Amino acid sequence: MLQNWFILLPELTFATFLPVAWLINHYRETKTAKTFYTLSKFFLLFALLFTIIFYNKSVWPTIWENSRYTTLFKVSVYLVAFVWFYLSSKWFLNKNRSSYVFYNSAIYSLLLFGILLSARNLLVPTICVPLLCILTVVLVMQRWDTEKVYQVVKLYGAFALLSVILLWVGCLILKKDIGNLSYSGIQEFLSQTPSVKISTYIAVTLVLSSLLFMCGAAPFHFWYTEIIGVAILPVCGFITLIPPFVYLSCLISLMTGAFSPLVEDLRPLLLSFAFVSMGFGAISANGQTHIRRLFAYSSVYNFGLMLLGIISFSSISVVGGFVHTIIYVMAMAGIYTSFLGLKSKGEYLCEISSINGLSEVKPYISTATVLFMISLIGVPPLLGFWGRLSLINTLVTEERWLDAGLFFIALIFMTNAFLRVIRSIYFEPLQNSFDRTDKSIYICLFINLVLVLISIFNPAYLLHDAQIVLSGVN
Amino acid sequence: MNNPFALLSLIVALPFLGMLFVLTAKDSEDTPGRNAFNVCIFTVIANITLIWRVFMVINEKSSKLQLLEKFNWLSTPDINIMFGVDTFSLLLILAIHISILIGLVGVRPNRHKQKTLMVLTLLFLSTITGFFVAADIFSFYIFFEAMLVPLFMVIGMFGEVKRKGPVFRFFLYNFIGALLLFSATMLIYRQYGSITLLQLRQLAQEGQIGAYIYIAIGLAFLSRIPIWPFHYWISSISSAIKNPLCFIIMVQIPLTALYGCIRFIPVHFSINLGSYLTIISIIGAITMFFIALIGFINKDTQYKVFAYITVYYIMYLLGILTNDDVVLRNIGYSLFSFIITISSLEVLSSYIRHKEQEIDSLSNGFLCRVRRLSFAYSFMTMAAVGLPVSAVFVNNFLIISKLISQNLELGLIIVFALIIAGITLLQELSRLKTDDSRCQLGRNDDISFSVFCFMLFIMFMLLMSFIKPLWFVINE
Repeated sequence: MLQNWFILLPELTFATFLPVAWLINHYRETKTAKTFYTLSKFFLLFALLFTIIFYNKSVWPTIWENSRYTTLFKVSVYLVAFVWFYLSSKWFLNKNRSSYVFYNSAIYSLLLFGILLSARNLLVPTICVPLLCILTVVLVMQRWDTEKVYQVVKLYGAFALLSVILLWVGCLILKKDIGNLSYSGIQEFLSQTPSVKISTYIAVTLVLSSLLFMCGAAPFHFWYTEIIGVAILPVCGFITLIPPFVYLSCLISLMTGAFSPLVEDLRPLLLSFAFVSMGFGAISANGQTHIRRLFAYSSVYNFGLMLLGIISFSSISVVGGFVHTIIYVMAMAGIYTSFLGLKSKGEYLCEISSINGLSEVKPYISTATVLFMISLIGVPPLLGFWGRLSLINTLVTEERWLDAGLFFIALIFMTNAFLRVIRSIYFEPLQNSFDRTDKSIYICLFINLVLVLISIFNPAYLLHDAQIVLSGVN
Repeated sequence: MNNPFALLSLIVALPFLGMLFVLTAKDSEDTPGRNAFNVCIFTVIANITLIWRVFMVINEKSSKLQLLEKFNWLSTPDINIMFGVDTFSLLLILAIHISILIGLVGVRPNRHKQKTLMVLTLLFLSTITGFFVAADIFSFYIFFEAMLVPLFMVIGMFGEVKRKGPVFRFFLYNFIGALLLFSATMLIYRQYGSITLLQLRQLAQEGQIGAYIYIAIGLAFLSRIPIWPFHYWISSISSAIKNPLCFIIMVQIPLTALYGCIRFIPVHFSINLGSYLTIISIIGAITMFFIALIGFINKDTQYKVFAYITVYYIMYLLGILTNDDVVLRNIGYSLFSFIITISSLEVLSSYIRHKEQEIDSLSNGFLCRVRRLSFAYSFMTMAAVGLPVSAVFVNNFLIISKLISQNLELGLIIVFALIIAGITLLQELSRLKTDDSRCQLGRNDDISFSVFCFMLFIMFMLLMSFIKPLWFVINE
C-alpha cells in the first residue's frame, strides 16, 4: 500500500501544488510573479525526479501504466515546461501581473498530461480531456482586457464540448460492442474479430476525431489559431510547446496498443487529416499579418507532417515522428523566446509589420528567429533538416510518392510564409523603437541555438536512447 | 580516413570559424566594420594557403577523389558525411576563394553593415567549399541547399536590388531546385544506400524512377544556370546587384550547377538521356546567342558583364555535356581563370560606377585619365575576351573545337555568341577609353596603389595560368 503512494509521487507532487500555492497567495504579503514561478519550478523538478525514479512502476497497470516509452515523453514534456515556466515569469514580471492562475492551471495541465501519457484504458482520456478543456479556458481567460477573448472562449467551449461528447459517445459504443475499454482488451477483440462492425469503426473514428481536435489538427484547428491570436504570450507558448508531445504519444499508444488491427483501415482517415492540416496550415500562414497566428498555422502544418510521418505506426515512422516533434518543439521554443524579446513601449509586438527592420537594433534576436524558421523548413545543416529527412525517409521507404509530393508542395508554401517574416526583419526599414531585452532571453536563445547546432553535428547523443525506446513500440 | 590531418574538413571549417571570430569582432566608431573586414581577409588568405597545401598533397593527374574523409552522422537513416577532392574541384575552390578576396577588396571602403556582410560571406564560403569537397550524395545535397541561406541574405541585404520580389522568387526557385535534388537523392539512397559521387556516375538509372531522378537532377541544376526558361529571374537579380562582392557571390551559383552536372551525369548514359542532352544543348546554344545579343544592345554595364558571364557559363555547360574527360579537364583550367577574371572585372566596373555616382558625371573616356585603372581594366577585358593572357585562351579553344567537331551548326552558333559577348566587353572598354569632355573624372580618381598592386598580382596569376595551369603546385 505504502509502495503505491510512492509510485504516485509524481502525480501527488503536482496535486499538492494548488494548496501550497493557495496558502502562499493568501498568507504571504510580498508576492511577485517570480514567487509562483519558483514554487512551480520546485514542484516540477520533484515531479520530474520521481517520474524518472518510478519510470516503470504503476499502481493500476490496466488503466494507467508507466513505462520507458511514457517516461520518455513525460521527461520531454516536463523539461520543455520547465524552460517555458522560466521564460513566462519574465512576461509576468514585465507586465507586473500575478502569475498565480497561470502556474496553477499549467501545473494541473501537466498533471493531466502525465496521466494521459500513461493511459492504457479509454476511461482515462474520457476524464482527462474534459478537464484539460476547462483548464485551457482558464488559461485563455488570463487575458480579459479584450472582448475578443470571450468570443474565442465561447467558440472554443462549444466545440470542446462537442469534442468531449464525441469522445464519450465513441467510448460508450466501444464499451457496448467490445465490453471493455482497456487498450489490450480492445486490441484482443479487434484482432480476433474477422469482420469489425460498422458501429465499432464509427466509435474509433469518434475517439480519434476528439483526440485530433485536442491536437488542433485541421479542420479542427480554428480554436488553436484563434486562441493564439488573443491569449497572453505565456499561454500561447504553453499550448504550442507542450500538447504536441502528449497527443502524439497518445495517438501512438492508441494506434499501436488498442487499434493496431485497424491501422490499415484507419489510414485514409488519418491521411486526410494529415493532408488537410499540412495544406491548410501552409496556405493559411501566407495570409496572416499577425506573427503569432502565422506561427500557429505553422504548428498546424507541422502537426500534419507528424501525422503524415507516423501514419504507418512502424518503428521507423514512430522514431521519425518523435524526431520531428522534438525538432519542432525546439524551434518553436526558440521562436517564442524571441517573441519575449519583441517589445515596444512595454507592449509585446504581434503584427509582422511592427517588427520591420528588427535586425538593425536587435541583430541577435533577428538572427536567432531566422535560424529557427530556417530550421522549421528543414534547410540543412540545421536540426530541422533531420526532421525533414526522417519524414521523407519514412515516405520513400513505404513508397508513398504522392504523400512526398504533397509534402514538398506544402513546404514551399510554408517557406513563402516564413520569407515574409524574414523580409520584414531584414529587408524593411526600421519603424518601431524596441525596448531593452532581458539578458535571460539572450541566454535562453543562445542555449537553444547551441543545442540545435550540437544536435546536428552529433544527433546520436540526443536521440540514441529515444530511438531504442521507440523502436520497441510495436 | 586516409588523410591524417583532415585537411578537407579544415578548409570547410576555417571560414566558419572565421565567421565566429567576425561575430565577436568589436566595432570602433571611426572605422565601423574594419575589424570584421580584417578578420575576413585573414580567414580567406589562411584558407587559400591551406588549399595550396592540399594541392601539394594530392595527385594532380588522378581523376579519382582523394584525401577521403568519412564521418558517421546518422544511424536512422544510415548516412555518412564524406569529403574528397580532385584537381578539378580543388581548382574551383581556389578560384572561388580568390574571387571572394577580390570582391572583398571591392567592398573595402563600405561602412554600412560591414560586419554582417563579412559574416554572411564567410558562411557562404564555408558552405560552397563544403559543396565542392562533398564526396557522397548526401554531403553534396546538404551543402547544395545550405549555401542558399547566406546567398539569399547577402543579396537581399547588400545587393541593393530595388525590387525585393525577384529576390524572394530567386530563393523560392532555388529552394524548389534543392527540393528536387533532395527527392532524387532520397530515391538514389533507397536504391543504393549512401553512395559516393564516383559510384553514382558508374550507375545508369533505369525505369520510371530512373527517369524521375534524371529529370529532378536536371531541373535542380539547370534552374541555377541562366538558360531558357530560367534565364529571366537570374538575370533580373544579377543585373540589378550593385555591390561587387554580392555580384561575385551570385555568379558562383551557376558554377555550382556546372559542377553538379559533372558529378551526376553518368559515364555511360542510355540513348534516351543522350537525346535529352542534345535538346538541352540546342536550347543552351540558342539562349547563349540571344543573351549575347541582348548584352550587346543593352546600355547597362552590369547587364553587359552578366551577359558575358552567362554566355561563357552556358558554353562550359555544353562542354560538360560532351562527357569527355579531356574537355572536362580543360573546363576546370579555363573556369579557374574565368572566375578570377570576371571577379576582377566586376570590382573594377563597380569602382567606375561608384565614381560616376559620386561625382555625378559620365565615365566616358575615364580610362584616358587614370593609368592604373586603365591598365588593370584593359588587361582584364583582354583576358575575358579570350586573348592569350590567361588559361581561358587555350582551354576554351579546345572546348570549342570539341563542340564544333560534335555538331558543326551548334558549334558555329556558340562561336558566334562568344564573339558577340567579347565585342560587348570591348564596346564597354572602347567607351571608357574614348576621351569625352563631359567626363569630370580626373587623375585623382584612380585606384589606390595598394589595390593596383593587388590587381598586378592577379594579372600575374592569370598570365602564369596561361603558361602552365597548375603553376603554383610544387610536387612533394
